[in-house]
Parts: sequence; C-alpha cells; structure tokens
Amino acid sequence: MRKQTEPASAADLGRRDLLRAGAAGAAVAAAGLPRAAAAQRGGGRIVFANGSAYDTMDPHATFDVGRVAYRLNCYDSLLRWLDNPPKLEPWLAESYTVSEDGKRYTFKLREGVKFHDGTELTAEDVVYSMERILAVKKGAYPLFATLVEPGSTRAVGRYAVEFNLKAASAIFAATTHDIYVVNSALVKRNERNGDWGQEWIARNDAGSGSYVIRRFDPARGFLATRFDDHFLGPAGVAEIDFRYVAEVNSRVLGLIRGDFHGTDPYMPQDQIARLQADPNLNVMEAESTRLFYACIHNQRAPMTDVNFRKALCYAFDYDGWINDILGKSVVRNTHVIPNPMWGAPKDVAGYTYDIDKAKWHLSQVQVPLREIVVAGMVGYEQSMQAAALLQAGLTKAGIQSRLLNEPWPVVSNKMRDPEQMYDVLFLWRSTYYADPHNWAGELLHTNRHRGGNASYYSNPEVDRLLDAALATADQEKRAPLYEQVARISSEEAAGIYIHNTKWFGPFRKNVRGVRFCPIGDGQEMRWLSIA
Amino acid sequence: MRRVARKLAEDRAAMLGLGLIVLLVLVAIFAPWLATHPGDVTEFHTARRLSPPGPENWLGTDRMGSDIYSRLLFGARITITIAVTAIAIAVVIGVPMGLVAGYYEGIGSDFLMRVSDIFLAVPQIVLAIAIAQTLGPSIENVILALSATYWPFWARLVFAETRSMKNEPFVEAAIALGCSPLRVMVLHILPSISSSIIVRTTIGMGGTILTAATLGFLGLGPPPPTPEWGRTIAESREFLPMAWWYAAFPGLAIFLVVMGFNLLGDGLRDVLDPRLRRASQHGR
Amino acid sequence: MKTLVLIVNRLIWFFPTVLGLLAIVFFISHVIPADPAAFVAGENATPETIAAIRARLGLDRPLHIQFVRYIQSILEGEMGRSIYTGRPVAEDLLGRLPATLELTFVTIVVASVIGIPLGVVSALRRNSWLDHGLRVVTIAGLAIASFWFAILLQLLFSMRLGITPLSGRIEGWGPEPITGFYLVDALILWDLEILADALHHMVLPVATLALPAAATIVRFTRAGVLNALESNYVLYETAMGYPRRLVIWKYVLRNALIGTVTQIGLIFGILLAGAVVVEAVFDWPGLGLFAVNSILNSDYNAVMGFTLIAGTMFIVVNLVVDIVQGMIDPRETR
Repeated sequence: MRKQTEPASAADLGRRDLLRAGAAGAAVAAAGLPRAAAAQRGGGRIVFANGSAYDTMDPHATFDVGRVAYRLNCYDSLLRWLDNPPKLEPWLAESYTVSEDGKRYTFKLREGVKFHDGTELTAEDVVYSMERILAVKKGAYPLFATLVEPGSTRAVGRYAVEFNLKAASAIFAATTHDIYVVNSALVKRNERNGDWGQEWIARNDAGSGSYVIRRFDPARGFLATRFDDHFLGPAGVAEIDFRYVAEVNSRVLGLIRGDFHGTDPYMPQDQIARLQADPNLNVMEAESTRLFYACIHNQRAPMTDVNFRKALCYAFDYDGWINDILGKSVVRNTHVIPNPMWGAPKDVAGYTYDIDKAKWHLSQVQVPLREIVVAGMVGYEQSMQAAALLQAGLTKAGIQSRLLNEPWPVVSNKMRDPEQMYDVLFLWRSTYYADPHNWAGELLHTNRHRGGNASYYSNPEVDRLLDAALATADQEKRAPLYEQVARISSEEAAGIYIHNTKWFGPFRKNVRGVRFCPIGDGQEMRWLSIA
Repeated sequence: MRRVARKLAEDRAAMLGLGLIVLLVLVAIFAPWLATHPGDVTEFHTARRLSPPGPENWLGTDRMGSDIYSRLLFGARITITIAVTAIAIAVVIGVPMGLVAGYYEGIGSDFLMRVSDIFLAVPQIVLAIAIAQTLGPSIENVILALSATYWPFWARLVFAETRSMKNEPFVEAAIALGCSPLRVMVLHILPSISSSIIVRTTIGMGGTILTAATLGFLGLGPPPPTPEWGRTIAESREFLPMAWWYAAFPGLAIFLVVMGFNLLGDGLRDVLDPRLRRASQHGR
Repeated sequence: MKTLVLIVNRLIWFFPTVLGLLAIVFFISHVIPADPAAFVAGENATPETIAAIRARLGLDRPLHIQFVRYIQSILEGEMGRSIYTGRPVAEDLLGRLPATLELTFVTIVVASVIGIPLGVVSALRRNSWLDHGLRVVTIAGLAIASFWFAILLQLLFSMRLGITPLSGRIEGWGPEPITGFYLVDALILWDLEILADALHHMVLPVATLALPAAATIVRFTRAGVLNALESNYVLYETAMGYPRRLVIWKYVLRNALIGTVTQIGLIFGILLAGAVVVEAVFDWPGLGLFAVNSILNSDYNAVMGFTLIAGTMFIVVNLVVDIVQGMIDPRETR
C-alpha cells in the first residue's frame, strides 16, 4: 500500500500528528460507490456452494478463508482490501491519521452508516468491537494481541476512534480489514453472564454489511438478503445463499447443472479442468498470493538439524507436482513470500527434486533418525496428495514416514501446540493483509509461536529483521528486510516452499461483476449481478 | 465330518464362496509375483496418473499414477490380516467368556452377559468408529476396534448354547461322574457347540471385512500408502465421474470377498446347524 | 402373566444397559488425543484461553468426576454442548433426528414392500430357480459395502444419466420446519412441489439402505413361511381338505408375517449403522452425518450424544418388539 500525505481532515487531531490518510475521499470511487449506486436494484439470487461448514455467524470467531463469506458480506470493517493486486480502501472509515511515533491511529468514520436494525454505527461500536476481539480471543485476535491493550481504544466524539498501540506497527492499518464492527447496543442486550453475546451472535445478525442474515443452519449454511440502506447503496443481487456442500463432486455437478452459481476452488485440478470445459461456465483465473508449503516442525528432532530439513526439501518432486498433478496451472515459489508480492526476492534458487542430494544431507544429520509424521488435511485433496508425494520421495531417500490426514479443526488445534504439531504439514498460507509480513512475519517470527508460526522456527536475526521492518513505515526500506528474511529461511530450510496458488473462480456465465481480491477470495457478493 | 464335506460339496453356492476365499488367500500370498507393478505400493508415476484400464495398467491408475491392479493385490493382504486377527481375538475373548458365563449361573454370569448386551446395543460400526478414532489410524488399531466390538457375538452365542447343553444328559452324566468344570466345558460342551461357532465365525468374517473397509473409507483405517481397499474408494470420489475404474474395482474386490464368506457361511449353516437358519445374523 | 414378567424384566434391565452404554462411550471419548478445549477456543486462541475453557467445561477435573457430572446433567435433560457448533447437543441431535427417521421409515416401508412378497414366493416355491436366485441375490445384498453401492448409484444415475440429485435432502432451504419431516410438512402445507422434490432426493439413499434391509426381510420371511408350512397345525388344516390358497392366506402368511415384523429391531439396527455411511456419502443432514463429522472433529459431547441416542433408540425398539412379540405370539402366552 502506498501511503500519501494529505491535509488533516479531522479537526481534533494534534498538530504534531503526521497525517497519512489512506487514499481518503477520492478513493471512495474506487471502492465502488458510483458503480453500486448506478446498478438498479436487481433481483435474483446467488447460490454459492462452499466446501467448508459455517459453524458460527460470529464475525470475531473465525479468521479462515473457508468461512469468510458471512464476515465479508454481512459485516463491515474500518478499511477493506479490494481488487487484485489488493488495494486498502476506505470503508466505514473515510480516512485515518497516524501519530509521528507511529503508535496512535485515528480513524474518522463515515457519518450516517446504519446497522441492519436502523441504529447508527458510531465510534462506540468500533471500540466495543475491538474490545470484543481482545476479550473473546478468537479469529483475528493474534493480529492484535501483542499490539492493542484492552481498554486502550477510545471514541473521540461520535465519529472518530483512536487506537493506542503498544509499539509502532507498519501493518496495523492493513489489518483493520479484520476489525468487523458489530452493533454494540444489540449485542449488549443479548449478553449472558458476560459472554460478550457469543452465544447469541453465533446464530444472529448484528452487522451493517451489504446483506442481512436471514437463516442459518450449521448443516446447511446461511441465507442472507440485501440490506437496502447500506452506506454504499444496495447490492446488485437480492439474495445470497451460501450452502455447505462437503463433496467436491456435488459442488462440481451442481454448478454444471445450474443449481449453484459459484463454488470455491478447493478441488483437484482435474475437476477445475472439467469445469473449464463446460460451455455454461466461466472459470475466472487470477494470479493470487497464496503460498502452498509444508510446515516443518523446527523444534522437534530430527528436524532440529538443518541437514535433515534440507533432505526433506530435496525429497519433494516439485516438477511432478506442478506439471502432472496440477497440470502446469501454477508456478514454483521457492521461498516464503509469494512471488507477486513486494519484498519477494528474485534471486532465491530454492530446492529441486534431487534424491542424491537428499541422501547426502541425510548422511550429515547429527541427531538420531526416526519415523516422521507427514500430515495433510481431510477435504483438501491437494494437501493430502502433496503429503503422499513427499512420502514417496522420503522412502526413496531412506527416510521413514507415516501419513496422517486430519480435518482442519483438528489440524488448527495441533498447530497451536508445539507438543501436538505434526512433523511436517502441507497447507496454504492465504493473504489476510497484503503485506510481506503476512507470510514472513506471521510464519517465522518467534512471537508468533502458538499463533501463526506453527513451524516453531526461531532465529534472532530473522526476528530482528522483522521487528525493524515493522518499525519502519517506508516500503522502500522495508522490502530489502523481507527479502533477507526470505533468503535466510530458504537457506535454513525452515519449510518446504512449493508454489504460489492461482485462483480459479468457477461461476455460471450469467454471473457478472465478480471482483476477486486475494483477501476474501472473491467472495464479496455486493458487486455481483445476474444477467 | 466326511458327511459334512460331501453335503457341502453339493451346494454349488457354498463351493463358489469357498472358491472366492481360496482365491483371496492365494492372491494375498502371491501378490508380489502376480502384480504387474509390485513397486507401486509406494511408488508414484505422476505422468501416468488417472489412466484408464489398458495393456500397461490392467485396471487403470490412481491419482498418483500407481497401478490399481497391483495395489488391489497387496490390499488383499491387509484385508486378510485385519479380518483374521480381529476375529481370532474376538473368538479368544468371546468363547471362554460365553462358556464360563453359561456354565456357572449367578450374578457374575448375568453381569458378563449384560456387558456384552451393552456392546451389542450400539451398532458395531458406531462403536468401532469411536474406538478407531480414539486410537488413531493404523492397522493394529483397526484390529483392536473390531475385536473390541465383535467379541460379544461369540460370547452371546456360546452362552446360549452352553446353557442349553448343560441340561443334556451327556453333560449331566459327565458332571455326575466328577469331571472338573474345566474338563466338562472344554471336552464335552465345546466340541458339541463348535459347529455353531464355525458358522458364526465364517459369517463374522464377512461382516468384519465390511466394517474394516468402512473404517478405511471414513479415513480411520491404516494410513496411506497402505493400499487398503476402503480408503482407495474414498480417495477416488474426488476424481469421479472421470476415473470410474478408480472406485469400481476396489469395491468389486470387497464385494467378492465378503460374498465368498457369506456364501460359505450360509452353506455351512445349512449343513451344520439347521437351527440357526432362522437367525440370519450378518453382524453388520 | 408371563408377558408381565417379561415386560418388567426388560424394563429393569433398560436403565443399567443405558448407563453401561454411557460409561463405555464416555471413557472411549475421553482418551481422544485431540484437545476438545482447544476446539471450543477456536482458531488462533492462546493457551491461556484454552486453559480457561478447559476449566469452564470441567475438562480439567478427574475423569470419574466428569462422568458423574455428565450423568447428572443427562438426568436433567442436558447432554452438554457440542464443541463444534457451541450449541446444546440435545438441540443439535433433535434437529437432525427427523432427517434420519424419515429416511429410516421410508426405507423400512420400501424394504418390506419388496422383501415380504419375495420371501413368501421364495418359500412357496422352495428349491425352484427363483428360490436359488433369490438366495444368491440376498447374500449379495448383504455383501455389498453400502458406501460403494451408494457411489455406484451416484455415478450412474446422478453423474452419467443425470436423473437423480447427487446429494442433499431437498433443493434449496426447504420449508420452515413444522415437524421436520419434509414429506409430512409438504403434506401439511399441501405443497406437492416440495413433496416431489423431497421424494426425488430420497431415491438413491433409500435404494442404498433398502438393499441390505430387504435382503434380511426376504430371508426372515422365507424362513418364517417355511416354518409355518411345516408346522403340524398347517399340515392338519391341509389334511382336512381346506383349499391350499386359503390355508396359505389365512394361517401361513399371518404367522410368518408376525415373525418378520418382530425382526424390525434387527433391521432398525442395520439401518442405523448404514445411515452413518450413507448419510456421509449423500450429504444427508441427519444423525449419521452428524456423527461422522463429530467423530472427525473429536467433538466428544456430540459423539456421546449420538451414541446415547442411537443406542437408546435401538434398545427401546428392541424392548417394544420383545413386548409386542410376547403379547401376539400364541406360543408365548399359551
């Protein structure tokens, strides 16, 4: 994100404050207001088949892409990432300023924004939402845990909110996409025994977003209808129906038959190819920033030995994977930061499939060897296939291994606990904010152990580089620091970095206006219309 | 004994069943020689993935390009290992328990039978899933889960048979002659109820193989790359309808083997134990 | 009098059986390695949160205390909360019960309509080619892995021919539940479109489940009719010169059918077990799918709830069948 210095827009800001409005005012156009306003209130319904179940409607309880739809469509946040490459756009906030020391952020809210029940969204609601995230400690909590002290956020009048950070952070604004604002009066009315309304909001709507939740059933999904008083004007389609359809085949067939208008792309490339061949479908393609990699547990022997980790890296058949199994649909990503992202080094050769080198490194290992556990995720075919492919390579190299496939809820628990974390786990790192820190920082910094850094990798030099990068506002100065982190982690074989994902968005041909953004995977429905 | 064999030989369906079982055993023993690609249990050929049946791969290839025919043959070994071991354990637990509980009357016997009733009160697959999930996916744990859920069938059967045998004159005579309880149970009662046990065991094999395959299908069986049949079917679902062979052949293998045991069991029951004809328990 | 003794005897054993069931499942699920508290805490929760939740749910107490507390709450009609949905397990199970019961009920009807006549014919034409054919077919029906059969049906009818839905219980959201049984709700609302759609979605799951059930019914009916035909009573009636047709209709069938109906308990067990896999394949939002998901998610309250419900239903059905059998079977009362 390019930051610009613009004149003060809020009267109550101190003179010393360095004013950096995130593309304020004029950028509203980019956010799509005129486009939405121009759209006639179209009717119609979008049925979207989702491979992950929606177990809750609490916007502060989840963080993953699989369940992003209700957060994105039924709730609004201060700023929002849009389009590809992603741009951070004003949303509930019209602009924001940062104090000189980089610790105080003041967001100026748009006036007259209405919640679904008609009450006005004010600074108090933003404060309550921030406190709620910190209190329930779920979803996006790790992004703010080390940065925002409970009680430190305050409302300045009705339309300005002040965040007082514990330390300067170059990524704070970028993460406000995940501060979804709830209707504080409504939630408070439904609090029970100080639970921050968790029980109630898990099944009810308290948002201001483009759609209002009408029906929710964990076994089926959720149904939401257009909110006509949304501050950007009503959305293009009257009703959105997100169905939980576990089986890939059901999703594919339903799309081909026209029961569904769109589905998520988590399926074997063979099925994507089948969808691409269908004349009624439009499989959109976009270069995304989503890293597919194997997380190696760096703190458990024998992975504590860098030679063992290198042996693992040399035992994965990258060409067979990309060319045969993924049908050349993606390109190799040799290090931790996705290629299209700034801060990604261009000079990291990475590892190749080379059993001889793997054997050589294995012979250098100083610690005792043992059978290792290679894990994949049930329901995510690519992750399970990659695990099987690695195992075949390991067998050739002479490393004993055992495959284990478990569902994401179990996997995500184990990732948080160094005792339970698998030896090797294949998964994706999606974009939660478009900044190299989303990969290099969240996956490798020591302070992200038990919350993002499931490799339990720890390197003081890397920590120092990452801290320095966060304390700096200037992207030009930050980029080399991240490049260095990527080089070090590749050299130390902190993980097996495989490819950067391409997004395939299968939609019926009559669906128009899909706006793909790597953050949210193109699931924001307000831009869509049906021809 | 010879009479039994002759009668059984007249039953063409039972002979077909026996043939299928013999085939399974032979295939399991000679898998490395019968397989066209014996290395494909662990080796992948990604360039050849999802090829339809043809001269190179008789039954096609899977998602990793491994030969399905070869993997099926090696899968027979897993099936036999699981079913035979699980049933053996179940018999070893169930038969003595049934004998003792049937021979002695009292609170202890009632308690033992109540425990087996409780196990029988839940569909076997439900209990097996819970146990297999607890222990984690491995071949040993599948065996444990199956034997833990199937032993009550033998306990119940032997209990009932022993109770009715106790009043038979030859048993009463043996007791009157001062034979020790152990001797009566093992030398007098057990041989005369052995035909029921054999019938139950044969049919139980079919049910156990089905349940084991179901566990594999649900991802609770031995982990990959073990070429377990149930899991292969689960894997294939993501590639349907394109790769029909991927799902079709492992299922056919399960069907033929279970069919073999059921046919033989049905024939044996006719010959050995006409009384059982009414109680068609397939232990599903 | 004998019937009364039977009923009392069965009732006395009912509660210890259910308690034993609970004990088994409770101890199994508490050894599950994945930490249930971490799951409630949600993604990215800190270890402190997880510890707090563990304390709140009582997961930090000794096992026997947890079990006693669990029994107490069951007696109060509370089955604990699902760790996955965060809702009371009883509520989740109740919401899913109609889907499974509807499937089970329709399957029993279909399987009986097919199985009973075939069983009768098979017995009346004993050792004919039809009888031998049916014997092989029924054995085959019990030998097919239901998940494989389900997939074959999907492959043929949904994917190749495209004449049946691939999965689900109804297209879209369905009617607001009145009873939760879509067939009944559709009739109450008199919405024939919903009725047709619900039936259409049932075709493949019912076919899958009905195969082993019908096979079992054929075998029981055949054995029952044979027994009745060979009984002295029928031999006597035939000897008296009553027309064979009358004897069969009036005596043989009635007696044989009573025998078959009393096997509903066993068939119910087959269906309940089958539902676990069949619902998973057809995405049928019933108890079976719920159980599979709960087990995969280590949702131990939900697993216990399911096993309790499934086990109790099974025990109750068998209890009722036993009592009914005791009352209608002439041999028992005489």
